[in-house]
Amino acid sequence: MKTKTTAKVLGAALLTMALAGITTVYAEDQYTIGIEQFAEHGSLDNCREGFLEGLKEEGIEEGKNLTVDYKNAAADMGTCGQISDKFASDKVDLMVGIATPSAQSLYNAALEKEIPVIYTAVTDPVTAELADKDGNPVGEITGTSDKLPVKQQLEMIRQILPEAESIGIMYTTSEANSESAVKEYEALAEDYDFKIETAGITTTADIPLAAQTLMEKVDCMTNLTDNTVVSSLPTILEMANEAGIPVFGSEIEQVKLGCLAAEGLDYVELGRQTGKMAAQVLKGEKKASEFPFETIEEAAFYVNTAAAENLGIEIPEEMTDSAAEVFEEIAEAK
Amino acid sequence: MDFFITIIEQGLIYGILALGVYITYKILDFPDLTTDGSFPLGAAVTAALISRGVNPYMTLPIAFAAGALAGVCTGLIHVKGRVRDLLSGIIMMTALWTINLRIAGTSNVPLFSKETIFKNSFLEKLLPEAVQPYGTLIVIVILAAVTKLILDFYMKSKSGFLLRAVGDNEKLVTALARDQGNVKILGLAIANGLVALSGCIFCQEERVFEISMGTGAVVIGLASVIIGTSLFRNMTFMKATTAVVIGSVLYKACTAVAMRNFEPQDMKLITAALFLIVLLISMERRKKVKIDA
Repeated sequence: MKTKTTAKVLGAALLTMALAGITTVYAEDQYTIGIEQFAEHGSLDNCREGFLEGLKEEGIEEGKNLTVDYKNAAADMGTCGQISDKFASDKVDLMVGIATPSAQSLYNAALEKEIPVIYTAVTDPVTAELADKDGNPVGEITGTSDKLPVKQQLEMIRQILPEAESIGIMYTTSEANSESAVKEYEALAEDYDFKIETAGITTTADIPLAAQTLMEKVDCMTNLTDNTVVSSLPTILEMANEAGIPVFGSEIEQVKLGCLAAEGLDYVELGRQTGKMAAQVLKGEKKASEFPFETIEEAAFYVNTAAAENLGIEIPEEMTDSAAEVFEEIAEAK
Repeated sequence: MDFFITIIEQGLIYGILALGVYITYKILDFPDLTTDGSFPLGAAVTAALISRGVNPYMTLPIAFAAGALAGVCTGLIHVKGRVRDLLSGIIMMTALWTINLRIAGTSNVPLFSKETIFKNSFLEKLLPEAVQPYGTLIVIVILAAVTKLILDFYMKSKSGFLLRAVGDNEKLVTALARDQGNVKILGLAIANGLVALSGCIFCQEERVFEISMGTGAVVIGLASVIIGTSLFRNMTFMKATTAVVIGSVLYKACTAVAMRNFEPQDMKLITAALFLIVLLISMERRKKVKIDA
């Protein structure tokens, strides 16, 4: 009798296991992805948000047929490696890296596992060795770059400030993205008769002093997408306002917070574009190695009229007319 | 399975760093913050050499030497310049930021397309097909074991004995007609050499150099040393060096478990709590022993 019960229990257990097996087989359209974001940061959060929107537009929706495992590395390389290895050992269908160190770390973990990697907010995929010289993927990895439209930005600054001679840029020496952007500014500045002055910082604590020194030397300032600098933007703007120095932004959020204007990126849009690429890979329509990395198609002009008024600067009407968005007040920092 | 392999890999790499911290913190009684700079120093040297086509195995001794040099500098500042221990470390740590940037050339150097100590044609020929996936683990285990054994061997030598004496009883060293300052400098050199070696291995395992990778290295090292030495306090058969390396693996296991089960933002708090629990458990044990005695 006893053996019979045991057998029954065993049988039932086996049946349940078999059924469970069947359900997993049938739920073929269920996707699991791992998202690794390098740091807690407004622009990167926007990227992630946009990414999920992009997937949704392609019919892959979180909670319905998509499971998202989201991890934040808190700007620590060691944690990056651990998160990447976790995703790889979980055998997710796709790994998403937001910002350069995360993308590199995921690629490193994916090399042997054959899991595709999609990245976004990587300024220079070629230098990061995620793409070859021609922009083609080096493996099952592709994504989008948040390379700044430096040329358009310089053109815009010239248009708003016809008399300005020098532009100041503050950047963190540890951020590869900023470094390559500064190089690009320095290379192109001459074409628009600007001189670039830079101030390198290592931590948030360096900002007040660096900003002070920089503002004494320049006619205006422009921001990159530098994580450390952008997170201290309110401090910088306050100092700039006192000194009467216009600060240009590099993306929509910064203009909202009181930067004068920007030829910039919309990170939600960038994320959305990335999400659509990911959807193609997940559905098996295309392999990650089959498409080169993309940049955002067009820079959009953003302007803050309240900031302009504070500085006593007149923005040409044809510019405000063509703006993607005009902010009439300065938003409080979140 | 992969989960445990990762923990062991990471734990052993940081175990070498912990051995370095063990020398300064436990033996020399010197709170050495140079660690945060010498860990990426090892990585920077490695990245610079490998991207110039140097044999990856050569980076191991060179990184060690670079770290040792940084340690000597900290030692000189402290001993000859009579600067306080904590400050000497801070000075070197700050200086190393720039030095590391200069050595590596930029803040981020990828090594994906290069041969490393874990991935190279020699190793591919050497290891049979079935063992290949565990190649990284095998190399790390060998490196950690060899490092530990050499260190054990050194500790038993005359010079190693003096090193241990300096932390406990400076007068003894002077009585033996040795300059305790020199012994301290030597200790700092070995310690930071080990830390840089750990950075060198980490950089090749992650296949990228990142300037910020040293941030918090000293904390990880200290945690590993304290976990290791307090958990295995009563196991006299176990060498302190072994305990420290195991401590590092345990620390990495704690963070991995925290990462699996909690929100990313809560990571640091959970790790701190786990760290505290380990400490409290080991304190308990000590109390019991006292009562028995």
